[in-house]
Amino acid sequence: MDRLLVVRCPELLEEDEGGAVLRSFIRVIGAVETYCPWITAVRPGICSLPARGPARYFGGEEALVELIADVTSGITPVEVGMADGLFASVLAARGGLVVPAGGTREFLAPFPMGVLGNPELAELLERLGIRTLGDFASLPESHVLGRFGADGVVCHMVASGQSGELAEPGGLRLSTTGRRVDQLRNGVPAAAGQSGFWGGVSDTDARAARALTAVQHLLGPDSVVTVRLQGGRNPGEQARFVTWNAHETPDTTTIHAPWPGRIPPPAPASIHTVPLPAELIDVAGAPVTVSGRGLLTAIPSRLSVERCPWTTVTAWAGPWPTDERWWSRSRRRSARMQVVTDANAHARLLLAERGRWWVEATYE
Amino acid sequence: MFVSLASPRAGSALTREMSRESLVILAERTRPISSSQTRLLPVAAPLADLFPDRSLRRGSTIVVTGTGTVGREGTTGGGTVSGEISLALALLAQASQAGSWCAAIGLPDVGAVASHGLGVDLVRFALVPRPGPVWAEAAAAMIDGTDLVVLCPPFPPRPAMARRLIARAKERRAVLIVVPGRAGWPECPDMRLTIDAIHWDGIGSGEGYLRRRRMTVTATGRRSAARPVQQHLWLPSPTGSIEGTASTGGIMDAESTAAESTAAISTAPGRPR
Repeated sequence: MDRLLVVRCPELLEEDEGGAVLRSFIRVIGAVETYCPWITAVRPGICSLPARGPARYFGGEEALVELIADVTSGITPVEVGMADGLFASVLAARGGLVVPAGGTREFLAPFPMGVLGNPELAELLERLGIRTLGDFASLPESHVLGRFGADGVVCHMVASGQSGELAEPGGLRLSTTGRRVDQLRNGVPAAAGQSGFWGGVSDTDARAARALTAVQHLLGPDSVVTVRLQGGRNPGEQARFVTWNAHETPDTTTIHAPWPGRIPPPAPASIHTVPLPAELIDVAGAPVTVSGRGLLTAIPSRLSVERCPWTTVTAWAGPWPTDERWWSRSRRRSARMQVVTDANAHARLLLAERGRWWVEATYE
Repeated sequence: MFVSLASPRAGSALTREMSRESLVILAERTRPISSSQTRLLPVAAPLADLFPDRSLRRGSTIVVTGTGTVGREGTTGGGTVSGEISLALALLAQASQAGSWCAAIGLPDVGAVASHGLGVDLVRFALVPRPGPVWAEAAAAMIDGTDLVVLCPPFPPRPAMARRLIARAKERRAVLIVVPGRAGWPECPDMRLTIDAIHWDGIGSGEGYLRRRRMTVTATGRRSAARPVQQHLWLPSPTGSIEGTASTGGIMDAESTAAESTAAISTAPGRPR
């Protein structure tokens, strides 16, 4: 779970029509951002930032909390706290506490069930004599699942300190607010030169990180990815997509070791995550396949991708048989072939497997 | 805008002191708040001649189309095939190496090895492979934070939406590169790059392999770029990068002189200035 610092502004929790609340909130965010660029607007009046790096830099968690409280209290009354995960951190902020790492469960134990924001569950549990998060957390998870379903399990995990955040929509995170705050904030230029304090984060990187975070707010955390190169035989294996994460510096090492059986460069510009079904026929219209010896059964004449009209094959190379993992049960025998159509204009990498053709990549 | 310097009188220590002071103020005033203060972004040498400034102009929108793109519905499967994505990636390369962040929206299949080969720094290359119906909002957010955005709209954009994104790029000083594909792009961009005369080399009837692709890129733009400019390219070259073809003055590198580059441009005939 992330170590989070939460700034809670009690007077800015409810939005007003004129937008003054949101503007003050953005000033708070701006002030905190002077010290750490990775801040997230959770909802009006509450923002969080991953605290591990900054705490190390500013000489401890208490020191960081004090510092952030100092810089923001001039704008509006604030409560600052720190704990593991967003849920506990917000409660910690309300008490102005720093909950030690791993102490979430003990910290949450005395709170009433109501703080989970699930009145039905709270009422039901209260009738069963379970009044605090501690009581709730001590119930075995399997029983919770049986009696209260998936929602109950999410609350149970939060109460027992295993999960940091309640699932939407009952949770704290109002993504629309976060998005609007981010949009408004992006209109405000970042404090220049203040973000390069640790981790070598430059202005450009911080600005990009904010944009990428905004897209994650919009589409979900897995929506933004970066790519890393790695060794591999076919084009799909040579890259790995990694969910982008503001708190991680990307690993920049690339592998240039030769891979036997690799398709010669240049690499295709489009690699289809889901291969496209294709048909390859000879002059007579009979399907072309790859024999057990890795040879074509006929000279390819026409190609159709995804049942689109036939195009004339003007050149091809291969097939290059691959016999991957021949030692295991997941053995794959296949062959690859480069096929060019439309008077040498369009090139594709085809894969033959179990008597069928697929477009694995397009030399876009 | 600038601080007027005291008239330089050589040898006078006082003047020199004053000049130095003014220079400090001047430097302070012109200090970039972020790198977005520069007007231009670098572009790979073989592509430079296509642009009036020999660079990408911040705030501009570039539409990249292949010849077969218009009205191609259902004629070839599997999305774009005419080199639009390669060209869009090649446009990013130089700026990406210079420290700019790049984003690609709506390109689920972009090849990492090819991007790397063309010179895109993968550390500063963010992908939103499947933006879905909120693609325009995602693009707007990316325009806010990155210098170059490649956008392949998954759905046909409404004119108002396209206009808003163009305006956003202008305001945020980003370069918006649109690969319209089948969805189309209803607005007139600052610059249109059209790919033509594609031909793959090195492959025969069951022999050789794909070595390089020759293509002709025609740039048409507005105002200073209204005259179409054509460039013959190897994209990709045998090493996966981008090169000018021999017929347009050989492989050009950053050191190629202006005279060579001028000789390398063959302009399309017919259009009066």
